[in-house]
Amino acid sequence: MSKLGRVIEAVEKYNRHVLDEVKRARTDKKFGKQLLDRWDEIKRNIKVGRAPTGLELPRLALPEIDEPGEIARYLLGDGLPGEFPYLNGAYKEMYLEPLQEVPIEIGSFAKNGQGKNGHGKNGKTAVAKLQETEEPTRLFSGMGLPDDTNKRFHYLGAHQRSKRLSTAFDGPTLYGIDSDADGVFGKIGEGGVAVDTVEDMERLYAGFDMGAPSFSASMTISGPAPIIMAMYIAAAKRRFGAGVVPKLRGTIQADIFKEVQAQNETIFPVEASLRFLGDMMEWTTRNMPRWYPVSISGYHIGEAGSTPVQQAAYTLSNGFAYAEMMANRGMSADEFGPRLSFFLDCGLDVEYIALTRVSRRIWAIGMRDAFGAGPRAQMFKVHTQTSGRSLIAAEFRNNLTRTAAELMLAYMNGTNSCHSNSADEPFTTPSEEWIRLSAHGQAILLDESGIFKHTMNMLSGSPGMKAVERAVEKAILDEFRQIESLGGVMGAVENRYQRSQIQNAAHRYEQQIYDGTRPIIALNKYRDEGEEMPEVELARTSRAKQQLQVDRLKKFKKKNAAKAEKALDKLAAVAETNENCFPALMEAAEVCSLGQISGRLQEVVGRFRPMV
Amino acid sequence: MPAPIRVLTAVPICDGHDSAINTINLEFIRHGIEVVYLGYHRYAQDIVRAAIQEDVRAIGISSYNGGHIEFFAEVVRLLKKQGAADIKVFGGGGGTITHDDQRVMQKRGVDKIFFAGTSLTDMTQWVRDRYGKAPRRGAGTSAEMKLARKLTAIEDSYAKGKRAKKSAAKKAKKSAGTRVLGFTGPGGAGKTTLIDELILRLLHREPKARIAILSHDPSVVGEGALLGDRATMINSQDDRVFMRSMATRGQAGGLSPATEDCLRLLAQSGFDYVIIETVGTGQEAMPFQGKLVDQTVLVMNPDYGARLQLQKIVMLDLADIVVVNKSDLDRARTAMSEIERRLEGSGREQKLISTVAKRHRDRGVDELCDLLMREPERKKK
Repeated sequence: MSKLGRVIEAVEKYNRHVLDEVKRARTDKKFGKQLLDRWDEIKRNIKVGRAPTGLELPRLALPEIDEPGEIARYLLGDGLPGEFPYLNGAYKEMYLEPLQEVPIEIGSFAKNGQGKNGHGKNGKTAVAKLQETEEPTRLFSGMGLPDDTNKRFHYLGAHQRSKRLSTAFDGPTLYGIDSDADGVFGKIGEGGVAVDTVEDMERLYAGFDMGAPSFSASMTISGPAPIIMAMYIAAAKRRFGAGVVPKLRGTIQADIFKEVQAQNETIFPVEASLRFLGDMMEWTTRNMPRWYPVSISGYHIGEAGSTPVQQAAYTLSNGFAYAEMMANRGMSADEFGPRLSFFLDCGLDVEYIALTRVSRRIWAIGMRDAFGAGPRAQMFKVHTQTSGRSLIAAEFRNNLTRTAAELMLAYMNGTNSCHSNSADEPFTTPSEEWIRLSAHGQAILLDESGIFKHTMNMLSGSPGMKAVERAVEKAILDEFRQIESLGGVMGAVENRYQRSQIQNAAHRYEQQIYDGTRPIIALNKYRDEGEEMPEVELARTSRAKQQLQVDRLKKFKKKNAAKAEKALDKLAAVAETNENCFPALMEAAEVCSLGQISGRLQEVVGRFRPMV
Repeated sequence: MPAPIRVLTAVPICDGHDSAINTINLEFIRHGIEVVYLGYHRYAQDIVRAAIQEDVRAIGISSYNGGHIEFFAEVVRLLKKQGAADIKVFGGGGGTITHDDQRVMQKRGVDKIFFAGTSLTDMTQWVRDRYGKAPRRGAGTSAEMKLARKLTAIEDSYAKGKRAKKSAAKKAKKSAGTRVLGFTGPGGAGKTTLIDELILRLLHREPKARIAILSHDPSVVGEGALLGDRATMINSQDDRVFMRSMATRGQAGGLSPATEDCLRLLAQSGFDYVIIETVGTGQEAMPFQGKLVDQTVLVMNPDYGARLQLQKIVMLDLADIVVVNKSDLDRARTAMSEIERRLEGSGREQKLISTVAKRHRDRGVDELCDLLMREPERKKK
């Protein structure tokens, strides 16, 4: 049995345990009394806040129950926000605005809180707290050359306290290919930013304080992720010295399983890819305590056409497979567990009402009971992106509504951070006009509206949501059983199980659109036959810019030719052994291009053989 | 019955968006089209080489990652350069290809761009209408194209129920020095990966050798076929490799009615090696009956079930070499000893090799390559 089998058992066992405890609470008087006491204490400790209208509301809403069995069912089965099994949230307060406990010394607050010495003792109130919290908004961007994306980063961050950058790379970079390689001209800087060298990486994040606590970078790349990670570290060191390394904060996607299952950006054979990933995860976990070295991603599985349940099931099982891999390297779950993070798609299907909630619960139970993880390693921390696939070109302004509904679902599920898609995405890399609207969508929901800022559990626990939770959890466990019967995640991958399931689901989805059982407004329902494609400003990378990237790379290669050869030889030699490659990779990243490194590693471990 | 339409589909270089093309492939197949699927992340030159060798009527490209104007134009340009302008190019990219782009692309020779919202039915109907009638074409300019078109003629003559005439070609011998290697075995044994790994070694060991591959995929009953072996054969995308994918078109036993004639033609065309691969076969299959094949290789998966099953596999008596692939699986050692004993009974000197074809630089595949190479080269090595 793989670890996934143990996870299935753990969830089943936990669910039985909850039912047993419900029964016990009703029969065992002492236990029942304990629960009632605890329930009273929880209720007593709930603080009361005030909406701008003056209405007083509890910071945490609880079900109106006073019977020990039901209390047990709630506390054990769902858990309070921030408590096992985390159905209602990974953290206690999520998006709540700081409690408006009116500071007694108003005058001194104004003086100290907004003056030069902002962290004066008396100023430790609302404003100081606001500065500490980060907005959950994280918008994905990447276009043209590193200089162009850098400009976009500064534009996006201008309105935010925290600098949370999210980087999209162009096709050649995602496939570990240099911009000067034959056959890729035309693809340079398209759909993302071109990065070939450590110098590009410096240009990309120029002007940002990479070691600052308020700065974090997310990089969406998987196949060559360890190489790009090494380049990021090399760039940070060049600018801020070696001391910056432990301070670096961010996430690199690096999710090989979902690449093989759905997104197809893999450059080494699966085993070799996993080895390089493991090397990087081990190194960063030990040396970069604030870095998330893998973002276990369902987004691309969802976008490739899976059902929501497949998305959650494959993502969670991939996560457990990575956990198993790290455990096999001799690391404890408490060491690597807190460094695992997730990335989910949120579309408009009904499952999304509770998909993330259920995922959080399964992850917590699996990590605790199958891996022996403590609380920090049980928490399912997730970034959500609204569904790009749900957006269409016809009457594209409707996409604002689609995205708004998806955002609402994402925040109802307690996502830790979120990207809202731009309405013009069906045709192009988002333009500034539409990206601004998409960012504002999040602010309207979180800051302007009162839905999420006053009370936790505002929309949790309705009978409908419960029904979806039960149905989704059962369906996810059924998928787990299928995967387990094929020998676990790796066996299922080799049987192309996930791929064929996703492809079948995608085909069904298309058929439903064409036969009308899946209404898409302005496409198969309320269609405006006379509508022309909108004229939108397209973000394309000019030939001259593409040529500039090629020229810069050639110059870099010429300058570093001798050093690069040495570094590559050393890297290849380490790759032949069982040692951790990552230190050699970091050295190589200082003088070699991405393509030089991936090419040399492919000589050692081979190339990925695509699955169809 | 007219011969099925053959088209090639692919996704451009640095693009892994294969969701749309997978759906479209399925739809094409349901409507009787034979689709040679080259996969995602493909260079323009690989697409053009494959289209010429497979002699398809059109190439369908699905592009979602930008750079489509350059990419489509490059495919059209390369086709023209090779004298294959009669192979048409169509494609789409959801909303990423604008109407303005389409105008530029059509000016540069692209036949048709489908936009988001086109129904699968409309798309399939358009392809059937536009490419349904076999165009009148020349014999081709390059040797490769001539060969490809002759293969099409043979296949089509069978499809139309007119068997190829007994011609002089049938009696002619194969080219001097050509080795014909036949690969068969159950589905999922890893034949395609194994062959591709052999190609990598042969190309490396014999820097001038030219290799032909005749690969088979099953036709769906009453429908077209997905010919997908090329998509996974990363080492066979090479100018020294001529690959042709055939659908079985209703014939059982792992080959197509036209296989023998096609194989004979390839064997007479001056290749150093001709490799033929059957579809996944059953226990009773005996695919290589003629005298054309020099060596036959049976590729087995260690998970064949109970030992008794081995008695029923006819190819175990006929194959020159038996390969147990995927020998990293738990059951591989047992499988090796069971098969060894089964082979002892045949009274022939058959070789038994264990491989893990998916592993880079696998020793077992090296060993198999030694056995399959022609004598002089083997000595040189």
